[in-house]
Amino acid sequence: MAPRGPDLAAERSVEPGSFRDPDSRVLVSPDGVFRVLSAAAMEDWTALEASRLWQDLQADGRVVATERAELDAVPDLLATEPAGVLRHERVPFVSYPYEWPFSMLKDAALLQLELTRRALAEELTLKDASPYNVQWRGAAPVFIDVGSFERLRPGEPWAGYRQFCMLYLYPLMLQAYKDLPFHAALRGSLDGIPPGQARAVLSGSGDRFRKGVLANVVLHARMEDRYAGVEGRQVKQEMRRAGFNTALLDATMGKLERVVRGLEWKAGETAWTGYGEDNSYDADAAARKAAFVREACARRRSGLAWDVGCNDGAYARIAAEHADVVVALDADHATVEKLYRRLRDEGRTDVLPLVMSVTDPSPDLGWRGRERASLERRGTPDLALCLAVVHHVCITGNVPVRELLDWLRSLDATVVVEFPDRSDPMVQRLLSGKRDGANPDYDRAAFERALEERFAVDRSAAVSATRTLYEARPRA
Amino acid sequence: MLAYLDPGTGSMLVQLIVGGLAAAGVAVKLYWRRLTNVFRFRKDDDRRLPSAESDQDG
Repeated sequence: MAPRGPDLAAERSVEPGSFRDPDSRVLVSPDGVFRVLSAAAMEDWTALEASRLWQDLQADGRVVATERAELDAVPDLLATEPAGVLRHERVPFVSYPYEWPFSMLKDAALLQLELTRRALAEELTLKDASPYNVQWRGAAPVFIDVGSFERLRPGEPWAGYRQFCMLYLYPLMLQAYKDLPFHAALRGSLDGIPPGQARAVLSGSGDRFRKGVLANVVLHARMEDRYAGVEGRQVKQEMRRAGFNTALLDATMGKLERVVRGLEWKAGETAWTGYGEDNSYDADAAARKAAFVREACARRRSGLAWDVGCNDGAYARIAAEHADVVVALDADHATVEKLYRRLRDEGRTDVLPLVMSVTDPSPDLGWRGRERASLERRGTPDLALCLAVVHHVCITGNVPVRELLDWLRSLDATVVVEFPDRSDPMVQRLLSGKRDGANPDYDRAAFERALEERFAVDRSAAVSATRTLYEARPRA
Repeated sequence: MLAYLDPGTGSMLVQLIVGGLAAAGVAVKLYWRRLTNVFRFRKDDDRRLPSAESDQDG
């Protein structure tokens, strides 16, 4: 028998990002993630549940673990009478495509296509194609929107194709073909990049004959303009009459899959990508630093840990020895790209690498500012590592030292912070372009005073002549 | 049942091109029917004209 669920009638448990599909609404509670289905969605679910595909997807973990559930009170959230409820496994930490490096978006795109093609083989399909339906167990993608699966209506073109282009294909093409980061575009528009805008960037003579551009970008944009006033229903009907069928749908997706597979981003060697191997530490200092961090991490097991400014992820890996999940944040896209590829190849499911700047973190976005949550609203850590990052935030970012510590205190987490003195070579480099005496609050004595005001410092140690580590707990 | 996403008319038709050779036959057939006026895409604007054909069948 399906387990009885809690009363989720409370409006506050509704996942605010789930409103777009009128047949399926998501509720989040401490007891789990629940999906309320309309009668039509329930029929789709029944068809999916009965398929071989579903057994396979549950077995290989490509789709979030799901079971039928019952609620004492099903909230009235749909336009029609709710007909059933599913319960989903909770993903460790929610993330969004504008935080992923190139290869995460690419792997999510390939998962989306794979699922849709496998569904076609069993007369099912996916009604949309949104990377917001993909989440991560560390470096392994998992598809979370079971409500996307529906019964196939033979002869119809792919409804999700335009969305696939706007949210997966164009962002990947911009990065691969133009070295243009897609994060700002996806953060700026939750619907993604429209065909016309992609064409504006990719229609030059050097680009239009690159793989996939002519059909998916240039002609797509042209046909969108040309047929803007034509009724979609009529086109569907005529395409079916002209012989469009499931085999063609699959062929179209197969072509797209090859285009996506062919997209590669040569992550340039930025100032940061070689940092792990080539920094201002000698081997002894690095060993002392690792030992200090390991001791702090081992003190208690953390549910969630953050590594702010994770670079090559060496310390995120140490944190992962004593945490359920580590979110590894770095502002440098190429660095996170490298880290993701490594974690993926190792099959790691406990470290989630994200492109994120501390001085410009993901905000609340979308409808009423509640559709996509800011980083902190998705869960604050039990432990936060801030190693070799304070000088970047406070000198390059000009964030006052006290304000950085206020933010750290607001996380309510144990912190491990590294402070490089003004005389540190890296700090000197950051200050070298500024007038003498710039960032006067950047000073070890002032930093320690401000830290003590907000945290109880349990331990500190010099890792090198110019760098000090602190382990600190928030003061009540 | 209607999909909640508008697939976009141009986005549906361009799939015949993305599909490559496999879809070319369908594309030609569709184009031919248009050319010979057996079939003509009706624009939304046509509805407003008094002479426009009835849209009861849509």
